[in-house]
Amino acid sequence: MTYKVTEEGNISTVHLDGEIDMDVTEKAKEIIMPLIEAKKEVHLNLKEVQYMDSSGISVLIESHQKATELGTKVTLKEISKSVLKVIMMAKLEQILNLD
Amino acid sequence: MNLSFSQISEKKDFHVNSASLKDIRSFSRDVFDKLQLNQDLKDELVLAIAEAAQNIVKHAYKDIKDTPDKMEIKISLKDSELEIGFFDKGRTVDQNNVRHRKIDDVKPGGLGTFFIQQIMDAVVFKEGEKPWINHLVLTKKL
Repeated sequence: MTYKVTEEGNISTVHLDGEIDMDVTEKAKEIIMPLIEAKKEVHLNLKEVQYMDSSGISVLIESHQKATELGTKVTLKEISKSVLKVIMMAKLEQILNLD
Repeated sequence: MNLSFSQISEKKDFHVNSASLKDIRSFSRDVFDKLQLNQDLKDELVLAIAEAAQNIVKHAYKDIKDTPDKMEIKISLKDSELEIGFFDKGRTVDQNNVRHRKIDDVKPGGLGTFFIQQIMDAVVFKEGEKPWINHLVLTKKL
């Protein structure tokens, strides 16, 4: 997994690239969580994520819940077909903010 | 479903750690490419296999780091039934303790087993024959 973070105003966009599994979830959290803790609105761009397993889904849930707790928001952007399928299998399409 | 092979049986050993998951997906994709499965089915099966392997790392080898042990994954197709076997030497898995979280109780974790059950027709834990401790069998009619 590789990533790039861009900033525009109070919005931080994290562009994730590659496969997100148990082996990289700690790294993903290290990138995303400090932005949420800084009360940034976070956009996760998932266009280039070809694979995500339950560990990756856990990062999305944890990020969403942390953001809600701190009064900010995480939005999933340009979700790839394969990731959307896993989100829907987990019945999270009504829970997470999908754009 | 028209399959390019009526029978196939391939197996491979992997180190028991999270870094192996990528290799496990790659092995699985290669086998399913030979079977010429459609992309959606292939993605689902690869996810189920990776989740089962992840469960071995997380649960059968809980608190055990840097083990020299390997797990074996065997993918077989016979009479249109796909069977995926997982063999490991970790701590014994009690099938009664293997359950996914309630899907409405949204929290991180507990989804891997749910995905496996959604994708596969059957999930059976067996006692492994020596040298194995656990033998998990996932099946699906193609």
